Amino acid sequence: MNKLKYKLIPQGAAEGRNPIHLIFVDKKDVVAAGLTYRQACEVIAKDFKEPSAINIIDMDAVTVSSDGIMVDYGIVAFASVDYGMINKDFGYLEVSEQPYSTKLLAEEPHMKQWDNIDAYKGKRLYRGPNFEDRWPRVPHNETQTITGRIANNNTGSEVMNVVDMTEVLIPAYGALEIMKDGEVLIGVAGPEISVGIGMVVFETYGRIFHRSYGAGLTAHNSGKYAKTVKSDYPAIAGPKRTLAEYTMRALEIGLVPGKDLGCSPAVLSIAKAMGKPIAFDNIEERAWIELESVGIRRADLEAPSTPMTREEILAKADEIVPGLTDGKLFKVADISEIRYAEC
Amino acid sequence: MKLMHTKLPDFYKKLQDAGKKFNPDTEVVVRGMENMESAKLASLRVGRAEEFMEELAENPDVAKIEVTVLPQIPETIHTIVFKAIKKDGTAGKAILGSMFITTPAAECYYHDAEEVDDRRVPFD
Repeated sequence: MNKLKYKLIPQGAAEGRNPIHLIFVDKKDVVAAGLTYRQACEVIAKDFKEPSAINIIDMDAVTVSSDGIMVDYGIVAFASVDYGMINKDFGYLEVSEQPYSTKLLAEEPHMKQWDNIDAYKGKRLYRGPNFEDRWPRVPHNETQTITGRIANNNTGSEVMNVVDMTEVLIPAYGALEIMKDGEVLIGVAGPEISVGIGMVVFETYGRIFHRSYGAGLTAHNSGKYAKTVKSDYPAIAGPKRTLAEYTMRALEIGLVPGKDLGCSPAVLSIAKAMGKPIAFDNIEERAWIELESVGIRRADLEAPSTPMTREEILAKADEIVPGLTDGKLFKVADISEIRYAEC
Repeated sequence: MKLMHTKLPDFYKKLQDAGKKFNPDTEVVVRGMENMESAKLASLRVGRAEEFMEELAENPDVAKIEVTVLPQIPETIHTIVFKAIKKDGTAGKAILGSMFITTPAAECYYHDAEEVDDRRVPFD
C-alpha cells in the first residue's frame, strides 16, 4: 500500500499562534503516490479527520503575490476537509496552469518578471483557478473551497473556521518558507498588511481577482476602514528579508509600483529604500487615503534620500518593511509534523 | 385555488404534518429560515420534502426530526439595502451594497448520521 507524505502545522502550533490546522503537500509526493490531486486530498481527509485546509504545491512552478511580485512556487490544488470529508461540489479546487503568451505579458506588465528573472524563466505559472476550474461557483464567488467548518480562501492564503470564526492568513512568502522548511514570521497581520492586501494588480485568473483592479488602485476602496478589515488576524508570513529579496528582484528589472506593481506599503517602502521610481500620480486618491492611514505618506516617499544597497536592505528588512504586529520567527521544522496517509 | 408554488407558512405545516403522520408525538424542528417573513417554495421540491419526512418518520425508533435549511452553495451573494429614515419617518437616501457570506457547509449538520442519502439537485 502506498503512503502519501504531508506536512501539518497543527492548530495551536507556534506557541498557540496558529489557530487552524494547515496541511501542505508537495506535488511530487502526490505523483509518487500515484494519485490525482483530488484523490490526495481525499486520502488526507480520511487520515486526518480534523477540520483543516490543504494546499498542494508545485515547487518547480511560479505564482504571483497579491501586489504583483513573482514567487517560485505554485498552488496547483487546494481543499477544505472536515469530519473526514470533502464537500463534493465546493470542497476542492484545482488551479489550471496558465500558459505563457505574449498577450498575457502585454496586458499584465508585472509579468515581465517571468521573462526577465532567470529563476522564473520557463517555469509553469499557477495563479488562481479559471472559470472552468471554479464550476459551479459563479464569477463573483470567492476563490475558495468550503467543507463543513473550513473555508480555504484566496487560493489557499486565507483560512477560516466559520463555526468558531478563527482565521489565519498565509501570505505568499509564508507558504514558500513552509514548503522549503525555512523560517516563518508569525504574528498579527496589523494595519499595514490589512491595507496592502487590497493593493493588487490586474490579472487574468489571479489568486484573488479576475481582471478587476489594476496597479495604483485599491480593491478594498474603504478609506480609513481598510486598515482595520484584516488587521486582527494571525498571519504566517515569510521573514521580511525574504519579502525584500523577491520584491527587489521585481524592482531591479525596472517595474514601477503604482504602474506595474501594486502600491502596497511593503512594495512602496522597498522602492523608496532602493531609490527606485514610484508612479505617484497613477496611485488613485482612494489608495492614498488608505496608505496615509498607516503612515505611508506621498510627501515622505517623494522626499530626497540616499538609496540603500541590496545588502543594506536585506540586513535592515525588519525596519524597512512595515507590517505584522508581535511577530516572532519560528523554524518550520519546529512547528510542523510530517505525516503519512495510507492510500 | 391551487398554485404552482408553496407559501412559506404552508411549507412549515406540511413538514410538521408529514413528520407526525405515523406518530403525533414525533418532534419536528425546522431551522434556517427564521429571517424569512414570506417566500415562494417550488412545489415539486416541497412534495419530495414531505416524502422524505415520512420516510424518516415511519421508523418507530425515531423520536425527533431535525430539518435544517441552508444554501446549497455555501458562499452566497446578498444585496444589502442601507436606508436612512428621516425624523419625519420618510425614507431618505438608500445605498445598495453587496455582501458575500460564507456559512458552515452541510457536513456540519449530517457528519454524525449513520447513513446519508444525497438526493439534492446536481450542479452538472
